Amino acid sequence: MDEYTIQVLSNIGMFSFIALSAYLLLMTGEISFGQQAFFAIGAYASGIATSMWGWGLGLGILWGALVAAAAAFLLAWPTLRLRGLYFAIGTLAFAEMVRLVFEIFRYQVEIDGELVGPDGSDGFRGVRYTFENDISNFQYMLLIYVLLAAVLVFFFLMGRSRLGAIFRMLGEDELLAEMQGVNRTFYKVLATVLAGFIAGIGGALYVHLNTYVEPKIFNVMLGVHSLAYGLIGGLGTSLGPLLGVAIDIGLLESIRIFTGYRMIVFGGLVAVLLIVRPRGLLDEEVVHWLKYRMWRPFARPVRRQPDATPREVRDAQD
Amino acid sequence: MLRTEGLTRYFGGLRALAGVDYSLEGEGVFGLIGPNGSGKTTLFNIITGLYRPSAGRVTFMGKDISRLGPHRVIAMGIARTFQTPRIYARMTVRENLLAAQHTLARAARAADRAARIDRMLEVTGLAARRDELAKNLPLPEQRRLELARALARAPKLLLLDEPAGGMTPAETDEMARLIEEVAAPGRTCIVIEHKMDMIARLCADVCVLNFGAKIAEGTPDEVLKDPVVLEAYIGRTGGPS
Repeated sequence: MDEYTIQVLSNIGMFSFIALSAYLLLMTGEISFGQQAFFAIGAYASGIATSMWGWGLGLGILWGALVAAAAAFLLAWPTLRLRGLYFAIGTLAFAEMVRLVFEIFRYQVEIDGELVGPDGSDGFRGVRYTFENDISNFQYMLLIYVLLAAVLVFFFLMGRSRLGAIFRMLGEDELLAEMQGVNRTFYKVLATVLAGFIAGIGGALYVHLNTYVEPKIFNVMLGVHSLAYGLIGGLGTSLGPLLGVAIDIGLLESIRIFTGYRMIVFGGLVAVLLIVRPRGLLDEEVVHWLKYRMWRPFARPVRRQPDATPREVRDAQD
Repeated sequence: MLRTEGLTRYFGGLRALAGVDYSLEGEGVFGLIGPNGSGKTTLFNIITGLYRPSAGRVTFMGKDISRLGPHRVIAMGIARTFQTPRIYARMTVRENLLAAQHTLARAARAADRAARIDRMLEVTGLAARRDELAKNLPLPEQRRLELARALARAPKLLLLDEPAGGMTPAETDEMARLIEEVAAPGRTCIVIEHKMDMIARLCADVCVLNFGAKIAEGTPDEVLKDPVVLEAYIGRTGGPS
């Protein structure tokens, strides 16, 4: 694999985390324009841990994700009462606040006669863990995809579990879910925290690959993209956001067919899809079709449901 | 089993409920009628914990539930349907029923969930539709889905908000039969309905609300002959205004 392919695949992998993070909240019915804040917090926290505190990479990534999750927990409380547009604005404001805090955040220590650490708007340089430990770009790409696979397994298991069902219930009709015994507050906070954790992993991976970050990377455009990935790829399955990332980074950016016009094409794509397929390419209908119409004939013989009229089974009382 | 004492609820300056004392005991179907805007749905919303009462309280099985959050109230064994059907549109019919069971206690879930869901789908005539996306169902089937979904939780108290709203006479008949034969046995049901034939057929006891206050209670026959009730429904009958 040449370096360019590795770089593109690594980018697809890393941005999949923030796309999945936004997708998790979309699942519960909330639109967040602020997931880039947790990406940023994950990047800074894990960068500090490995380059300044001498932690290992694994522990550093975990730390980044945990700090991002903790920040998400703090955000969850004030925004709990906000719904729809107001939630979106609240998360956007939060993310901008986080970005501005990083613009003035200075925390540096001298290591080998050199100052290392976040330096306000000059960014955070010298996160050199991968160089110092001879991790090749290819190995690092494998690490990204192993972690991404772990997150996808989590999504897959969640989709088949009670937790995933409850998130979907909240996403479809919050009031109905509540009237069926769902503790709305608890699950909304849980979804926000999980989404923060996942975005945090992505940020932690990002800082170690690029060796430096600066606050302006984590601007609103990153948040808009992470939302758009799910909306393009589809909200019916966790593979949807990945498809969205692959389309944007894999096709539009890397193949360079639309050099210079990428954002116009991307924006146009989002606009068209929102009209034609408001829930993305792999939406619930496609997933339902795959599940019940396409797989079934191959999977096992269809058990014909008796078209029982109610009167015939009136004895089958409750 | 269920008891409200002096239940009052204001929305801004509007008094939706004005000191309602209502109590019901035992199995069967209880009717709750009254003109539009008389506070029937508000009463349901307070019972299920969606609104807090401005004054007064609700007790369910001896416990004050008027300050509990909805999920705590529902967990005690109350289920409801809605005036405008609320369904999980992007889930299949069967997934809608499964969703209703997710919040049941673990033991109750393991025991007979699948069997119960299949039985509910059959008795409500939705078995052939089980893998259909719920949004594709016509209104009468959506109402039956709501009923099946509420029953999937095996509630002790079932609140039905206009279960036959927007239905033809034949569909109404079918819904009445379902309530009579499937929903009512072994539990308490409260039915809000404007169709008096249905109320007369199902209920032994009817409570009438008007402007948030209880104006009559008794058998359907008594209540529907009550001049106060007639006045509330069709206006003043004779005499100077």
